[in-house]
Amino acid sequence: MFTFLIYPLTKLAVTAWSAETLSELTSSTLWQVTLRAGGQALLSVGLSLLIGIPIARVLFTYRFLGRGFILALVTVPFVLPTVVVALGFRALFGDAIPNGLILVVLAHAYINIAVVVRLVGAQWSTLDPRMEVTAATLGANPFRVFTSITLPALRNSIVLAACVVFIFSFSSLGIVVVLGDGSSTRTLEQVLLRSTSVLLDFPAALAAAILQLIVVSLVFFISARISRNEPRARVVLERERIGGRKTMFIVAVTCLVATVLVVSPIASILWSSVSSSGGVTLQWWSDLASTQNTRIGSPIAALSRSIGLALTTGVIAAILGGAIAIAVMSKKGFVVTLALIPLGVSAVTLGLGILLAFSRGSFDLRGTGTLIPITHALIAVPIVVAVATPSLRNVDPRRYFLALSLGAAPLRAWWTAFGTVFSGVMLAAGGLAAAVSLGEFGAATLLSRTDSPTVPVQIARLLSKPGESAFATAAVLSVILIIITMSLLLIVDRIESRKVIT
Amino acid sequence: MNNSTLHARDLVIGYKSALTPALSFSVGPGEILVVVGESGCGKSTLLSTLAGVIPPLSGEILLGKTNLGGVPIHKRSIGLVFQDPLLFPHLSLIDNIGYSLRASGASKKSARLRATELLEWVGLSEIAGQKTWQLSGGQAGRVALARAIAAKPAVLLLDEPYSALDSATRLRLLADVKSLVTREGIPTIHVTHDHSEADLLATRTLTW
Repeated sequence: MFTFLIYPLTKLAVTAWSAETLSELTSSTLWQVTLRAGGQALLSVGLSLLIGIPIARVLFTYRFLGRGFILALVTVPFVLPTVVVALGFRALFGDAIPNGLILVVLAHAYINIAVVVRLVGAQWSTLDPRMEVTAATLGANPFRVFTSITLPALRNSIVLAACVVFIFSFSSLGIVVVLGDGSSTRTLEQVLLRSTSVLLDFPAALAAAILQLIVVSLVFFISARISRNEPRARVVLERERIGGRKTMFIVAVTCLVATVLVVSPIASILWSSVSSSGGVTLQWWSDLASTQNTRIGSPIAALSRSIGLALTTGVIAAILGGAIAIAVMSKKGFVVTLALIPLGVSAVTLGLGILLAFSRGSFDLRGTGTLIPITHALIAVPIVVAVATPSLRNVDPRRYFLALSLGAAPLRAWWTAFGTVFSGVMLAAGGLAAAVSLGEFGAATLLSRTDSPTVPVQIARLLSKPGESAFATAAVLSVILIIITMSLLLIVDRIESRKVIT
Repeated sequence: MNNSTLHARDLVIGYKSALTPALSFSVGPGEILVVVGESGCGKSTLLSTLAGVIPPLSGEILLGKTNLGGVPIHKRSIGLVFQDPLLFPHLSLIDNIGYSLRASGASKKSARLRATELLEWVGLSEIAGQKTWQLSGGQAGRVALARAIAAKPAVLLLDEPYSALDSATRLRLLADVKSLVTREGIPTIHVTHDHSEADLLATRTLTW
């Protein structure tokens, strides 16, 4: 973690820091971008909550057939690569919504419905429904019950979800590059990428990175304060059966709306991959291997490159995941804290640090093809920590001593006690990181060479080209990416349910 | 609301199938009807039905001459106390007790005044500044009772309140309930599986 995280970030700060960085930090342009990105992120938070809270209510307080399926369905947008989501919205709306800001906010809300539903829903399932009944018997109408009892009870999870959505939207890149208008939707991440890859203005890039880090840290601080105040050991209550036609109608409508919301952009991508101005066609699929007319490289080469990078990322992340698992089991809290740093540092900043640190002298890794996998593995580490830590903390250390007392040698005893969970964490870490790598856009844009883009980078380039062929090829690549990503995550899910959960 | 008699006429309760035979009873002002029965016999479902949480399978519920069929929960003027006090954790004790008055449009000042009176009546005025989760079971139970009667409900429904408390505290609180109901003249239905509570409180008992 020190070699690939602290050293590159320090190197970036030392290399880029100058008097110019200070003057960039006070430039009105940068602050305007910050304020606009903040406004955009707030709108995204508002819309995500507006859509997510009713869905959370239905999915986490009622018991009905298909509940698990709808819950899995609303999680799908969160795991899709951001450029794929952006393409979905382009395919769905075309020119019907010319306003870039509206499209960006819609796409951010689409991706983050899962965050709101999962976080708010988890707290809702612990809220005793008799509390609302009590308020109603005391004369409160349904609106007052919701605002004076339900909302305050859910406050912590709502604020936490809002913080996560804010950070995601504030530091968004793939969505704003493809759907944004280049001015009102610009984010600091976009400024950072342009400063490093186009203008080669490192002081400006560092200023943007610092500003982004300050805002993200502030939001982190707020969410950490709130989660510290969260009461522990709350009981998850049994979900209600649906009683009465009115409730049945509300549940049915909510599930229908959620399904249509989630499926529409994905269906639009699928449709774009099999249609042309002449009607339904499989031409774009059959042309995939030979497509060169887009003048941005072969899609098949990009696919095999992305898969290769994802596999390498998976191996690196599995090793990192194993190290973190040992740290968590040995109660080395600072390693976990260290592993969370990439959450606050953007993908582009991380990529830039890695590039500066490992592109010279004896540390030149440029020719090894490992710069992107290392960066992607670091980006995935916080997700691995979030997924694995609860299971790892549940492992009973007495199992180790029990195995020793039964005559096992120390290594064998350790494996007997912790092996299943440990290998599960490594496999899950590898799988999750590979999925992250397949869809990652920011660092890949910075680190991949012009003639050898990854699939998300190529999709973004295709979308910047005019013509039906480029758009359809991007749609075909997106469909393939969706299939690979979803398959990987399903495998991880199976591994987790079998091994990590003890 | 003026104190009126609560009537149940041929009331059949349950979710999909009937849990009880057709029930008919009346509870007048100041009376306590104690419903005694084993767990799962439908005692709590009866209170949920009277409160409007679930609709009856058949029959009528009247408050005085008003048929409560179709009247939403918040317009029934019913005070309901569950086995758990279910105090609202984000509100102060005073605001918990004054909640019904605020919901019916009373000013914050008058709601707080009435809540302070009630807190004094339940003997907890010295701990008014405490958080809800700092209260003992007995104290929380008293606050829940004070909250239920703050807006002078037309009917009081008690769903095995205080059953989780120790016997001495429970008996003291039940004595409080009895004196309150008599003083305020509120028709009250109390459900329990404990026959000694029926002996202590009941004007009449109901079993099925």
